[in-house]
Amino acid sequence: MLFQRYRRGLFITAFLAAPVTLYLVYVISPYIQAFYIAMTDWRGVTAAPRFVGFENFSRLFSDGIFWQAVRHNAALLVLLPLLTIVIALFFAFLLNVGGGTGGLQGISGSKLYRVIFFFPQVLAVAVVAVLFQQVFRPDGSGMLNGPLMALGVKPIGFLSDPDIAFWSVLGVMVWQAVGFYVVLFSAGLASIPRDMFEAAQIDGAGRGSLFFRITLPLLWDTVQVAWVYLGILALDVFAIVWVMTDQHGGPDFSTTVMAAEIYRNAFSYFRFGYASALGVMMFFFTVGFAIISLRLSRRERIEY
Amino acid sequence: MTDTPQNITRRQLLRGAALVPVAGALAACATPASKAPASSSAAPVATSAANPFGVAADKPLEVWIFDGGFGTAYAKDIHQPLFKTKYPQAQIKIESTKEITKVLQPRFAGGNPPDVIDNSGANAMDFGALAQDGQLHDLTPLLDAPSWDDPNVKVRDLLDPAVIEIGTYDGTFSVLGYVNYIFGIWYSQKAFRDNGWQPPKTWDEFLKLCETIKKSGKMAPFTYAGKFPQYLYEPLLTLAAKIGGPEVLVNIDNLEDGAWTSEPMKQSAAAWAEIGAKYLMEGTAGLDHVQTQTAQNKYKVAMLPAGSWLENEQKTTTPADFEYGMFPLPDFTGSDKMPYGTLHTSPGENFIVPAKGANPQGGMEYLRAMLSKKAAGDFSELVRTVSVVKGAGEGRQLSPGAASASKAVTAAGANTVTYRWQTWYAQLKDEAIAATGELMTGGLTPDKYLERLQKKADEIKGDSSIKKFKR
Amino acid sequence: MTTMTSGTVATSRGEARRVRRRRLGPLGVLSHMALLVWTVLVVVPILWTFLASVKSEDEIFGDAWSLPATLHWDNFARAWEQAHIGQYTLNSVIVVSFGTIGTMLLGSMAAYVLARYPFRGNRAFYLLFVSGLAFPVYLALTPLFFVVQNMGNVPVLGPFIGLNTHAGLVLVYIAYSMPFTVFFLAAFFRTLPTAVGEAAMVDGASHTRVFFQIMLPMARPGIVSVTIFNVLGQWNQYQLPLVLLQERDKWVLTQGIADISTAAGYDQDWSALFAALTLAILPMLVVYTIFQRQIQAGLTAGALK
Repeated sequence: MLFQRYRRGLFITAFLAAPVTLYLVYVISPYIQAFYIAMTDWRGVTAAPRFVGFENFSRLFSDGIFWQAVRHNAALLVLLPLLTIVIALFFAFLLNVGGGTGGLQGISGSKLYRVIFFFPQVLAVAVVAVLFQQVFRPDGSGMLNGPLMALGVKPIGFLSDPDIAFWSVLGVMVWQAVGFYVVLFSAGLASIPRDMFEAAQIDGAGRGSLFFRITLPLLWDTVQVAWVYLGILALDVFAIVWVMTDQHGGPDFSTTVMAAEIYRNAFSYFRFGYASALGVMMFFFTVGFAIISLRLSRRERIEY
Repeated sequence: MTDTPQNITRRQLLRGAALVPVAGALAACATPASKAPASSSAAPVATSAANPFGVAADKPLEVWIFDGGFGTAYAKDIHQPLFKTKYPQAQIKIESTKEITKVLQPRFAGGNPPDVIDNSGANAMDFGALAQDGQLHDLTPLLDAPSWDDPNVKVRDLLDPAVIEIGTYDGTFSVLGYVNYIFGIWYSQKAFRDNGWQPPKTWDEFLKLCETIKKSGKMAPFTYAGKFPQYLYEPLLTLAAKIGGPEVLVNIDNLEDGAWTSEPMKQSAAAWAEIGAKYLMEGTAGLDHVQTQTAQNKYKVAMLPAGSWLENEQKTTTPADFEYGMFPLPDFTGSDKMPYGTLHTSPGENFIVPAKGANPQGGMEYLRAMLSKKAAGDFSELVRTVSVVKGAGEGRQLSPGAASASKAVTAAGANTVTYRWQTWYAQLKDEAIAATGELMTGGLTPDKYLERLQKKADEIKGDSSIKKFKR
Repeated sequence: MTTMTSGTVATSRGEARRVRRRRLGPLGVLSHMALLVWTVLVVVPILWTFLASVKSEDEIFGDAWSLPATLHWDNFARAWEQAHIGQYTLNSVIVVSFGTIGTMLLGSMAAYVLARYPFRGNRAFYLLFVSGLAFPVYLALTPLFFVVQNMGNVPVLGPFIGLNTHAGLVLVYIAYSMPFTVFFLAAFFRTLPTAVGEAAMVDGASHTRVFFQIMLPMARPGIVSVTIFNVLGQWNQYQLPLVLLQERDKWVLTQGIADISTAAGYDQDWSALFAALTLAILPMLVVYTIFQRQIQAGLTAGALK
């Protein structure tokens, strides 16, 4: 018996040793250090950073560009999940339940649609960013502006007009995200018993009420998961903004986000201390978002 | 489905965050440990007139070239072979990148930078930060060393004095500009000839010319690299200096109160805003330098502001009979402080020798080889530009653009201006880039534009964490 | 999918269908329209990129929708040779293969122990792993760089796992994939029945054997899901290699593409950029289309767990 316990302990240790070590060295320790670096004036090249306490944090509160970035993240946090989920739910419903022909398996060709809608998801974000840079070109050589100009419309500065650039970024993010959630919601719909739809239809339910009375309530859990994923995506966005937009988050900082400001302060201004302080703020925003979404989903469960 | 995993775990995930500090105690602290001083300071070889820095003949040398308008062929085909003639045993590794900062900044942070860097381009490293941290090798010995070609001539005497002024950080000469950049408004001499247009001498003539070109319907009058508005604040600042004298720019560099909102700056900003409102090529705001320059090569636009690297940068898309030409900024009023022909010149392609590299002696020797008549002359010819080495271009075949620029420099004589705030204060540069784009597209009035830049300059002045420079 | 319901309401089905068709007919057309619009939105930018990849430089700067006069396949040669897309793709494949295998091995081991073996501290370890899901990686970038650099000074192993090494990046990928992997696999292992494993133990099988020969095969669906997630996640990673791999010949594909985009501005080789984009996109779409059923099933199973 003792031998058994010893064997069990040995097994646990052996299985945990490597993953835990790697994780502590490469993930946990950098995060801890980041909190320390945030309280120094380190510029990245010197050997001994000077401790400055909370100076970086007090500076941060009057940094207009950073707060502009925070506002953009906040806008994305609301708009990205909202648009993506609405569009994806709509398509998932059409593809699985709302087909006009045949039974309840959805529209004809739904399999093909699902495959195509998913395409953007398998492309690297950096690739998507470069691709849309070209699509959005401001002259006749741009995929979108070419036809517009042929029609005599003035070209749209998708990335060069500060009032439009943010929406272009949002558009690309939605473009890339929708496919995954169509598939996710489709899987959710597939697990709803067919009888429920059949029964409702026999009761004379239209497509709208099928959606709102059956689909949405039964998918609610999945929608919540989607919301959390998309929320984290909105808070973490970097590559799209950094690679696609003019002046990395411009023009005139109209598309910048927290991650871009962290990267800019660290790797173009060499203010690693300050950048880490921004990172700490971002950390609290992320954790704050997670706490709020958990609170909301918990309340949801109690009411349910 | 009573308690789905995602519901428990998402909640636990947050509680987990609270554990992080505890785990920290376990993790080894790997914050930049203070390192032993680099071994490079020990002079390995005795110095002599032929070997003024004491270069070890067999020590490898790592050189990083900014792969921009001049390409990298000059390093591989001109400088490296010349260095090799003297040090055949030395292993030379020439690397190149367009993203100097991204690629090399971590090497500095890690204490193993390469031996020579051409720290240039839009993504160059911040010289201020490097200087502040003692990462730049003192290049004074290079200035005092005998030149490569003639032991009786010091390197210092070969260089334009502006090179030494601009390359000096904290009283130490540590950055060697290799190319003399000459800024102006570029056009096609052929297009101007064919259409009977004349390079303007006064601002009124400039506006009239824009109007004529616009009405002709043949091409747009003016454009600039809209994605990189630093291409436009360059002529804006130069025009202001022409109106109000070089101190306009000195005050801006020194972060003086009200430097940005001075009267000459207001006049210049208003003048350029008018160009932005009336005469820009359609879509300018979203195009980069290559796209606008290519448009000019296709005769879609007549004029754009750029530097003397332009001709080489465009060599593949320029029609053979295009004939680049450059004219200086026109007189704004009859009472400009500086005469017609005043130019903005600035040493560029900034070479540095990192202080903590493995072979700084070799690095300086490499720069000395670059400053030889042969190397500098071959370079000028290959990349169609003007180097900082006096007389290196003599007797060389210059291309139309380079010839035009050289002529302008000679005509300008001592009437050259320059500014340095953009390399000293990266944040101010980013703000100026953002605001200038807005000025040209009408998002900011000239007054609001200058107020905004003044505010940023004041902010930087008041920020104790940012190192200040003076000229 | 219809087979499971076909019997139950067979009698009223025909009628219901007729009613539905009458009521929903025009809407059906609209639905198709909506789906077609999105299909166009998804497919056209990608096709347009493919088209541009065989255009000449002049044609790219000309009218966006003109067809190329001749097919410039040499763009691909330049993208492959000069822009090193071939090398970068190979690097990506190497890093992602080892990264994913390592992640799945270590991640499933940790997840299994944490899910099935109660011991003092189990909860703490689990939460430690899972808490990583909430950290923004940008906070850790700078110190991570130094951690990896210091790894380069470890005796014997150092040169293999420091900066600019693929093995070093693989270890970092494994570590940063842990939170997600442990989170989902632990949940999955908890749902597996215990009886089989216990029986094997009674027969004298070791804990290790039970894991590799019984539990791991049983957890296959979960493993497949998480593997797909990790492959996609690591393949798309841009930020970590950007900081940890500086030597050009070590770069992964995302770095290469972003660099070509910057480079195109200096070299004026936009046609090669489009060719490079095509080379980055096309294989992913082909692989995805072949395995789309498994990938979609795997991804959604993982996300719904």
